[in-house]
This record gives sequence, structure tokens and C-alpha cells, in this order.
Amino acid sequence: MNNPSDAVLEVIDLNVKYGDFQAVKNVSFSVRAGEIFGLLGPNGAGKTSSLSAVEGLLVPESGRIRVAGFDVKTHARHARANMGVQLQATSFQPELNVAEIIRLFAGIYGVILTREKLDAILENINLREAGAKKFGQLSGGQQQRVSLVIALIHEPKLVLLDEPTTGLDPQARRQLWERIEALRNQGHGILLTTHSMEEAESVCDRVAIIDHGQVISTDTPQTLIDSHRNDPAVIRASRKGRITLEDVFIGLTGNQVRV
Amino acid sequence: MQKIPSTSAIFTSLLRADLLTQWRNRKSFVLILIVPVVILFSWKTVIDERGGAFVLGTCITLGLITIGLMGYSNSVARDRDKGIFQRLRVAPLPAWSIMTSRLLVQMLMILLLTSTVFIAGFYFDHISLSAGGYLLGYVTALVGGAVYLGIGQMIVGLIKNAETVHSTSRLVYFVFIMVGMFGELGILGTPIGHLVKWSPYGTVKHILASSFQSGSWDLSATRALLLTLGYAIIFSVLGIRWFQWSPSEKG
Repeated sequence: MNNPSDAVLEVIDLNVKYGDFQAVKNVSFSVRAGEIFGLLGPNGAGKTSSLSAVEGLLVPESGRIRVAGFDVKTHARHARANMGVQLQATSFQPELNVAEIIRLFAGIYGVILTREKLDAILENINLREAGAKKFGQLSGGQQQRVSLVIALIHEPKLVLLDEPTTGLDPQARRQLWERIEALRNQGHGILLTTHSMEEAESVCDRVAIIDHGQVISTDTPQTLIDSHRNDPAVIRASRKGRITLEDVFIGLTGNQVRV
Repeated sequence: MQKIPSTSAIFTSLLRADLLTQWRNRKSFVLILIVPVVILFSWKTVIDERGGAFVLGTCITLGLITIGLMGYSNSVARDRDKGIFQRLRVAPLPAWSIMTSRLLVQMLMILLLTSTVFIAGFYFDHISLSAGGYLLGYVTALVGGAVYLGIGQMIVGLIKNAETVHSTSRLVYFVFIMVGMFGELGILGTPIGHLVKWSPYGTVKHILASSFQSGSWDLSATRALLLTLGYAIIFSVLGIRWFQWSPSEKG
């Protein structure tokens, strides 16, 4: 197990407000190098707001966020240079082809990209033939692979993946999980948001369950299952005679549908 | 630890991508040229009555309105709507570099438009200017273009929805063209004619026409230039102040 000083992301007492509505309340968590950390929560729980604050897309009301030791407020560009981001709905200029998009982001991140290196990148994601295609012409799985390649083009210490498997078929999802695990094995710290408890249970080393803007539990998926196994709400949520992470999640956050 | 890439390297990459995007949209540049070139073909009598500088000024002004209102504002609204800006903003680049690169491409479009009008004017209508007239024409076209880019920026600043930006910019474009052209020709009456003269349409056209002939620059042209600069600054400042990178940006 890594020690806490390996943290590539530290979020301390984060508060995010939209007018009078407090979306995130005193949220704290950290992501270590070589770890996949899942941020789980129902719709509107505060996941995307927390992630947006880490990405620097919104200014939090208070709290501290450090990426690879750099404060996102005072050293924003240093922090961003150390993170790779795959947004929930990634889109690129529809006029550019895949190779041109990769070249654009390589330039933005200061990566020198030779023809051979670009070919190797495309080969690695099984998209050698798709380099001349427009991003919009790719399938969902291919788009995710391109987005992930762009997020990793500069070998960041921290990788942020916002619901990366949404809309993928089971094969593409499994393939993406393998890629995410390979990243972890290379020493990247990964922060992943997801609605899929199966995904969280399969790939995350630790998860934080967030609801109504607050972290209500943080631990490994198995420890969360074990520690909540006897909660009446969790037992009520159980459907298949055994307790899963989804049952713990429903037990902790309630079974009301969020909009 | 990752180093911050140099601003020049970032800017070069952005500019290359924006130029490529514009190149792939070259059909839209042809659309920008249609109205000015049709006017150059069909306004032979107006050239005889009011002179070549008047017609060249009108053609370039119409092209500038199209670039600012139909080209720039719609492309910014589309990219904001699709999340293209958000993807760029999570990268280690200064926010100003995203817009500056796009504005440089629009300035290049303005120079291309001006060149095309000059060339078409020369070949179709035998309108020729002095070297100084051509040079000043390019400079005033850039200044005038700034007014319409500013208006385009203001529209995308005020309106978040890309479809609404599209319809609003078309409406404003139509009003500028119709009221501007017919008001200036006196068809809409004297009060409207005066209003048009000192509107962004009239002042831009005035400085363009005056710049083409070195002897025709007078106090009225200087006033028009000052007003044009004022319009450009006000529209741009408001447009930047109101602008949000994401249509769903909160707080």
C-alpha cells in the first residue's frame, strides 16, 4: 500500500456554492500515485462540482486543492500540466481529424510528436487507420480511446476520468478498464467518477461515496461492503442474497431517484 | 514533475488548429464574399454616381458584418456548446490564448476579404486606388472589423444557447444590412439616414471610403474613426465581461 505522502491529489475542506445552493460541503480526499480512486454518488451529489474544482473550471468558495504538490489556485498552470483530463462529454473541433487533434494537444502540453511517435500512439489504441478520420466519425469506444490518449499525452501524474465508460458496450468497457488498470500499474494516480457500482467494485482501489455535497464514506470497496453488511438499510437494498457495493451505495444514499 | 509548455509553443499549436478549421470551412468564406461581389457586379450606376470608394467601402463593410456576426459569433457559440473550450481550459494554457488565436484567424479573413474586394473592384469595375489608399484600406478594414467582431462577442456573451446565438446574429445581420444600405441611400428618410451615418455601419463605411482617397479624409472622417474605435472598445469589453466558457457555467 502506498503511503499518504505519495498523494498526487489532495482535496482539503472543499466548499463549492452556486448562489445560495451549497453543492459541496467540506469535502476532503486524496489520490495516491498508483491508485484508482472512485468518486461515487447519485446525480447532483457534488461529484462533478468537486471534479470541476480540481480541474480549475470553477472557483471554490473555500478549501485547498493540490495536484502533484501544486495549489490549483496559486499555481494553476503547473497543476494543470500535471493532470490529464477526460471530460464527461469530450468534444473536439469537428473539422479536425484524429491525428490533427492529437497533434494539437501534444503542442499544448509541450510534447514533441514525431510522425513515428504519432503512428505508434494510434497503433497502440488500434486506431492506425483512423488517423485521417474526423472524431465524430468514430464509434463511442474509439472516441473514448482517443480522449484517453489525449489525456495521457504528457504522462501526467494525475488522471481525471469523468464517467469514462458511459455509453460503451461491455467489450469496450472491459477494454477501457484494462487500460485504466495498466495506467495504475505505471504509477499514475487516477480519479474516476462513475455511476456504475460494478465498475467501482472491479477497478477502484478505494472509493468515496458522496451525497448531498458531503463525503459519507471512504474506503476500499470490500471494506465498505464488510463494514455495512449488517446495516438494515443495506440489507433491505440487497437483491441477490449477497451484499454488493451497489447495495451499500443504495443503503447509504437512499433509493429515491435523483434528477 | 511536468514543465509548463512555453506560451509560443501553445499559441502555435492553437493557431495551426484554428487555421486548419477555417480552411476546412472555406465554403463559409465564399458565402462571406457573395454579397460584396454581387454588389460590385450590379452597382455600375452607383459607381458612376457616388464613386468607386463608396462602393468598395460598402462591399467591405458588408463582408465585415458577415465575418463578425455570421462567422465568428456562430463558431464561438458552437464550440462553447460542444464543450471544446472546456477541454482546452483544463490544459495548461492561458485563457486569453484561446480567443487571441481565433481573433487572429478572423483578422486574416478580413485581410482576405479586403484583398478580394480590391481585386474584384479593379477587374470588374476598373476601380483603382493609390498604394497609400490600398494600405490605409487594409488598416481601416481591420479597425472596422473589430467593431463587428466586438458585436459578435457581445452576442455570444449575452446569449448562452448556440441556436439562439445563430438566430439572433442572423437577425442583427439582416437589420444592419437592410437599415444600413437603404438608410444610407435615403430610402428610409432623413432621420434614419442620420442615425445610420453615425451607427457602426455608417462610421465603418465612412472611414473605409475616406481611407481609400488620401485627399478626402476630413474632420467628419476623424469623428467617424473615433466613434468606430469607441464602438469596438465598448462592444469588446462588454462581450468579454459577459462571456462564459460553458453554456451551463454556474456561480
